[in-house]
Amino acid sequence: MQPLTLSKVAVRCGILALVLFVVVVIALKFGAVPISLYGLAKDLIGVLIGHSSNISSEYGMIIREIRLPRIALGIFVGASLSVAGTSFQAVLRNPLADPYVLGVSFGAAVGSVLALIIEPHLTLRPEIAAVFTPLGGFIGATLTIAAVYLLGRYHGDIDSKTLLLSGVIVGSFFSAMILLLITMLPSSSTRGVAYWLMGDLSTPMPPILGWVLRTGFFAGFALIYLTASDLNLLLAGEKEAMHLGVDVKKVQLVVYLAASALTGLAVSVSGSIGYVGLIVPHLMRMIFGTDYRMLLPASAFGGAIAVVIADTMARTVAAPSELAVGAVTAIVGAPLFIYLLRRRLA
Amino acid sequence: MSAPRGSVVERGAQDGSRMNADVRLSVEQVSYAYSPNPSQAPIFTLEATSFQVRPGEIVAVLGPNASGKSTVLRLIVGALQPLSGRILLNGAETHLMEARARAQKIAMVQQESQLLFPAKVWEFVLQGRHPHGKSLRFENSDDVTIATNALRQVGADHLSDRWMDEISGGEKQRVILARALAQQPVLLLLDEPTLHLDIGAQVDFLHTLKKLTAVNRYAVVIVTHELNLAGEYADQVVLMQKGKCLRVGTPASVYQRDLLEQVFQTRLTVEQRVNGRPKVSVLESSE
Amino acid sequence: MGQKELKRARGKFGVSAGMSATAFLLLLITMALPLQARNQKTSATTLREVTDETGRVVKLPAQIGRIVSLAPSLTETVYALGLQDKLVGDTEYCDYPADATKKHKVGGAINPNMEEIALLKPDVVLVVKSLNRLETVRALEQLGIPVYSADPHSVIGVIESMKRLAEVLGAGPAGVELEQKLRDRLTAIQAKLKDVPPKRVFFVVWTAPLQSIGKKTFIADLLTYSGATSVVESQQDWPKYSLEEAVRLQPEYLVFASSHSENVRNDVEALAVKPGWSAMEAIQKRKIAVVSDAINRPGPRIVDAVEELSRQIHPEVFAEKN
Repeated sequence: MQPLTLSKVAVRCGILALVLFVVVVIALKFGAVPISLYGLAKDLIGVLIGHSSNISSEYGMIIREIRLPRIALGIFVGASLSVAGTSFQAVLRNPLADPYVLGVSFGAAVGSVLALIIEPHLTLRPEIAAVFTPLGGFIGATLTIAAVYLLGRYHGDIDSKTLLLSGVIVGSFFSAMILLLITMLPSSSTRGVAYWLMGDLSTPMPPILGWVLRTGFFAGFALIYLTASDLNLLLAGEKEAMHLGVDVKKVQLVVYLAASALTGLAVSVSGSIGYVGLIVPHLMRMIFGTDYRMLLPASAFGGAIAVVIADTMARTVAAPSELAVGAVTAIVGAPLFIYLLRRRLA
Repeated sequence: MSAPRGSVVERGAQDGSRMNADVRLSVEQVSYAYSPNPSQAPIFTLEATSFQVRPGEIVAVLGPNASGKSTVLRLIVGALQPLSGRILLNGAETHLMEARARAQKIAMVQQESQLLFPAKVWEFVLQGRHPHGKSLRFENSDDVTIATNALRQVGADHLSDRWMDEISGGEKQRVILARALAQQPVLLLLDEPTLHLDIGAQVDFLHTLKKLTAVNRYAVVIVTHELNLAGEYADQVVLMQKGKCLRVGTPASVYQRDLLEQVFQTRLTVEQRVNGRPKVSVLESSE
Repeated sequence: MGQKELKRARGKFGVSAGMSATAFLLLLITMALPLQARNQKTSATTLREVTDETGRVVKLPAQIGRIVSLAPSLTETVYALGLQDKLVGDTEYCDYPADATKKHKVGGAINPNMEEIALLKPDVVLVVKSLNRLETVRALEQLGIPVYSADPHSVIGVIESMKRLAEVLGAGPAGVELEQKLRDRLTAIQAKLKDVPPKRVFFVVWTAPLQSIGKKTFIADLLTYSGATSVVESQQDWPKYSLEEAVRLQPEYLVFASSHSENVRNDVEALAVKPGWSAMEAIQKRKIAVVSDAINRPGPRIVDAVEELSRQIHPEVFAEKN
């Protein structure tokens, strides 16, 4: 009998952090513009020490201003989506759950598309204009979260089966609305929407969004992690968890809200990148087991690693053109998912 | 005092020595009703029921399907709120207890376990330690010791490293019991634990349960419809039909032929054996 | 615990402490990672403010020495203004004139590569609202690279837009000259078509599903200069149209835009035998006009497109003069 201990979790997370670090270094090296590892090392150290303003090389600028922010964005988006997917799989008691199954991404898409339609007709201050579309996306996500929760209650309490049903229904409704709205858009905007729907990390963000995404991730993760022991018990059955002292309804509500918020944030800034929230949890389970006290941080790291790798491929495979990140995750993710499914059934 | 025979009150009046402060669980005139929808009148699943359980005692709640047995259990464990009456565990009302505190005292053993992902036996049993300590917790060596002991007590420590979905039905039931024991409860509730087991496994299980109850001084309430198992292993029987509690008493006193035939709607004979335990046999309709 | 166990325990503790420290450190670094690009500090050259055609105020250096174009029409304009030596980068789709294909490619118009553009250190990046994405503009602004956006909606609008662009790029006289030439040619065509009733045409964007152009589009405007009107009444830009309705309207000509007219004629032959299409008079009589894809580029060759189209649908008018 070797129960999970905090130091075990810390050690494994340390290893994962190391892997993420190596992946980040490799991602920084690759891109349409070739960069030497030596120059890269110099620039990285410069960034870490904080002397970034002293670096005058052209490559330094590209590293600092373009690649590093993009990789950082990928880290937080990937971590958010994976943690959300892992959480939903526990709350909905369904291994096929992913962050989008409750319709949040479609609500965010509707919000963003509406923002795109309205924006030309409004005169906005530049600071607001820059965040207008993501803001619309987040408002859409929030409304969806509320709607799905209100519809997904059973006798006034949150219920996993009803929640799943209500999420799928709300999601398909918004999905249809998006298609309708796209026909109303001026054609110049529809191209942008197509990229957004696939998931796209190429748009750098205004500073305030970066902070919101980062703190939102840590806050959401912390909230969910506090319920990790309870989630382990929930996996054995809702009644059994209750008999073991878990406040099932409260845990389900907290995790639902936190995971949906993580999804909403990620989707608002990068569109709906698919498969990450579905496959990374399963991959991490295969490596680390099903204990959520280890699985949650493992999923965060795993998702970050996956998205950074996918984004690097998106940037380099068809250089100088770019693929959308969501296209890469789909091409890699779908066959991987089929493989995982068959292993499970075997 | 001559209360009518067969009434609930009879038991308490007959045996004065039982009415002392050693009662651990006291179910007092508890009833329950619910309305499937607001326009319908409420259906009574349980009418006023009372019984008591002492440490080291096994009480069987017995009856055919839809007799309200499971409702009794859910009321005790606090999943339902009684419409009237109260349920006291060591003097405290169970449904008013905070979930965690209640789980430190009451453990429930159900039949099957619907695990979403595969788990090892020791992981499963260790879950029983969850109610003790903070919400987010990492198990310490004490937890490990208690869980190991629990497995040993049910005779399943050789299964410790096996996967839950690999072991047999009887073994699984014992592991579920071990998890309940790991909670270190004072009250054990069992919901038809022998339902899916073959006769050998059934006897094994109840035998182990009886032994552990005596050793660890648990108060045990077991819901079942198996007449002979209850007759053999229970100290008290609560006989139920259609939500009504018909009689409370020792198996010998409750297993009266007319009463049982009326409750179970079948012809049978009751044999009072030498050890004081009744044995029930179902008759062929031609006999 | 024995001495050995104690040592092992301490060793284990050390390892886990070390690992946790690493994890924590990396976490800190992650927190410090910049999630947004800081604006490049612009060099100390003098800046002038210009308002582009989408209403944005753009700060440009007084002298433009390095231009990146993100639209084929704008690349053509740059060449037409004689500024090709200053063009340091364009898109993969910029193929006219032939010399444009030799320029450094920065990717597609919709998904250009930021790194390539940044490496070229342009003084200005040219975009057009109908093709490029707003996200591209914002991304470049965040990097401190000025972006000028054109947004023409009509033939005259295109000509004026090019003149304005010429001024912004410091080639005012060339712009005036270009404008004059184009206007003269247009006037000449107008004169020829003065008393000729316009032909009713259906501009085919796509055949399956049938898609045409809306009333408010640039192409619809161009048609009027060629002595044609679109039979499609729609406020959408790229309306889908029902084949029955198109047949009912019986346009006199079908207009296709393609760089390979041979392919178009083959496609038309294939359509002629299909039900629905075969009922259209323009198909039966093979009244097809094929215009080069210059019609899709709001740039210097639009007048070429006008001439090309009017020649095909009013052959009698132009045959005289030839």
